[in-house]
Amino acid sequence: MVDFALLHRLALATAKSGSFGARTADGRIALTALPEGHVLQVLASPGHADIEQAVAKIGDGKPHAVRAYGPGQWFLVGDAPLSSSEIFAKASQLDGAGSVADQSHGRVRIEIAGTAVETVLAKGTAVDLALSQYPVGRSAMTLIGHISALITRTGPDSFELMVLRGFAESLWDELIEMSLEFGVDATAAN
Amino acid sequence: MASLIACPHCGPRPKEEFTIRGDAGIARPLPDAGEDEWHAYVYLRDNPRGRHKEHWHHTSGCRRWLVVERDTMTHAIYTVTDASAQGETA
Repeated sequence: MVDFALLHRLALATAKSGSFGARTADGRIALTALPEGHVLQVLASPGHADIEQAVAKIGDGKPHAVRAYGPGQWFLVGDAPLSSSEIFAKASQLDGAGSVADQSHGRVRIEIAGTAVETVLAKGTAVDLALSQYPVGRSAMTLIGHISALITRTGPDSFELMVLRGFAESLWDELIEMSLEFGVDATAAN
Repeated sequence: MASLIACPHCGPRPKEEFTIRGDAGIARPLPDAGEDEWHAYVYLRDNPRGRHKEHWHHTSGCRRWLVVERDTMTHAIYTVTDASAQGETA
């Protein structure tokens, strides 16, 4: 018997929603909380840093499902929640060459899009986000202000940020503030 | 302090993403090496002027330990390599 029921609450359920900043029509920034599906961390076992293809196979097959952020380290992300048996099945496909840790409730994804998105993010990170240096599909673990985040480019004018759950709302507020000069439409989780 | 470190895995990153451990040239003594050698290993450090190799941890990036060779006087960075590379770790 459990003493209390565990309720899953979306990390950004109570985050600020609506339009903020400049009242422009063009070039507005769109901030969207993404579904809390699955986030799996894959670490290569010692001597198996080259399992990239095997890791790609256990992703859900959608664009940008596999995000490398260091030697032998990947995140697998997707919109669909996974059961522990599904996660176990993925891990066993790696055949001991890597381990899988479920981070689905620990990390939250935020989409930020708009023609000025590079300028907005450049206020918080030192990574060069120019399309020529940072093509679609690239990921980088870095800091946005003082908050650690994985930045993934999902399109010429759109990025996905993945952040530790406890920092999600703080980053959300910061992103709104960074976007004020362009005008921002924020859609929190519901 | 140099402000951009060219991480071999992540590219140029600001120093705020790193944690500095200190001198990379110190070898851990054997367990029975004696008190003087252990005292030196734990407490005694040079304060060099010029080129210096240090262990840096890319805490907010790839989380790898790196060996950064930098000039303590001019802040110039000479080389940045992964600490697991051959011959890098004392």
